[in-house]
Amino acid sequence: MYEFNYRKVDSVAAAVEAMQQAEDGKFVAGGQTMLPTMKHRLASPSDLIDLGGVAELTGISVENENLIVGAMTTHAAVAASAEVQQAIPALARLAGNIGDPAVRNRGTLGGSIANHDPAADYPAAVIALGATVQTSKRAIPAEEFFTGMFETALEDDEIVASVSFPLPEAAAYMKFENPASRYAIVGVFVAKTGGEVRVGVTGATACAHRGLRLEAALGGELDAGGIDAVELPVEQMNGDIHASAEYRAHLVKVMTKRAVEACQ
Amino acid sequence: MAIARACDKLIAKGKKIAAHALEAAEGDIEFADGNFSVAGTDKAMNIAEVAFTAYVPHSYPEGVEPGFDENAFFDPTNFSFPAGTHICEVEVDPDTGVVEVVKYSAVDDFGRLINPMIVEGQVHGGIAHGVGQALLEGCSYDSEGQLITASYMDYAMPRADNLPSFDIDYAPTNPPDNPLGVKGCGEAGAIGAPPAVINAISNALGVRHIDMPATPETVWRAAQQAAAVSA
Repeated sequence: MYEFNYRKVDSVAAAVEAMQQAEDGKFVAGGQTMLPTMKHRLASPSDLIDLGGVAELTGISVENENLIVGAMTTHAAVAASAEVQQAIPALARLAGNIGDPAVRNRGTLGGSIANHDPAADYPAAVIALGATVQTSKRAIPAEEFFTGMFETALEDDEIVASVSFPLPEAAAYMKFENPASRYAIVGVFVAKTGGEVRVGVTGATACAHRGLRLEAALGGELDAGGIDAVELPVEQMNGDIHASAEYRAHLVKVMTKRAVEACQ
Repeated sequence: MAIARACDKLIAKGKKIAAHALEAAEGDIEFADGNFSVAGTDKAMNIAEVAFTAYVPHSYPEGVEPGFDENAFFDPTNFSFPAGTHICEVEVDPDTGVVEVVKYSAVDDFGRLINPMIVEGQVHGGIAHGVGQALLEGCSYDSEGQLITASYMDYAMPRADNLPSFDIDYAPTNPPDNPLGVKGCGEAGAIGAPPAVINAISNALGVRHIDMPATPETVWRAAQQAAAVSA
């Protein structure tokens, strides 16, 4: 790890100000990705701005048919929340299966989506549920938020404040785990909201995305009958020692079918 | 076996020391349960007292060297041969290729078990190692020779949720060339598990061969081929 300045802040405004003053600053939420990356010397920010003390970024509430989760809410808190379990049980289960207990007790929703690891779980839910990411500057629709591998629409001094999930009629997440890391080789979140069925796919490609071909095959219904016939672009799939592109494309369909069935 | 022989030497020496200290004939000293006692009396020294006397010899037999340690060497006239049967039941998800080990039974002949708890632990660890080899563990290198499974983020170790509870039993036979009646047990699980797991997968898919580690993708491809052949 290289030397850096540690900044602890107690408000979003102070965090933004600290970032603007820093030469090459980074926000840190739970630190479950940021700190290992720094330890491996793959990142060397001049300033690390710790959002852990920003109370306004934490919390869970249901308002106007939306579940609102503060960016600094840990995975463990989401998993254990009675409100989340009642409003979107699939989201509570997803959070409860991220990483291991240490990761879940430190890692946060905001940290996960701002980092946008292509094998992270949350992005699939954010996309499929048609969520809105509220930042320190604006509201960003889920589909515009994830722009590429480890890339998002966030600007350098922009902080995720909360994510607002419209309450679905039905939802389910199916994850095919990497046998070593237990990250998602493929994760598919299916949600039916306001009569529309959406599919969010993570792990399969460089960027979490809506499964538009899969959605077309579902045609707004929770009926997986047409999924086998969908042709997915194998050349866009990730491939590694654990799963080739061809196998990943196949797994996307299998996980979609299972998620649709779990919705019923 | 060498340990047993060294212990025999120590007991013989301890009898000399105890006989002198207890003012008895060496032939009257009996050793049992860690105690050197004079036969037919309540006079006794425990092994700690004998060892102390051996190193602080204020009352010590003439002609016996101080100290209480011995070496022994055992060269068996023939090997002993542990053997066993390991049986594994797997469930294969043909859509994903995921293999779950749902039942695992092993009966081994390790001869006489000196410490059954340690033997059971050895078998458990060995089976976990063998299941890991069969299903999960593999070293991969890229085209430039760089190891790409250099951390546990990429190298899949077997974990508790990869394994069922094991059903373990023993069928000991007596090896004629080992006076203690013991055989090796350390590698039994690691030897038995890979063929048991792979044979179970092959049987489930109706194929004759599958490479280790039988990862989900490997098994999925084998299942696809088997389905294509039988179609």
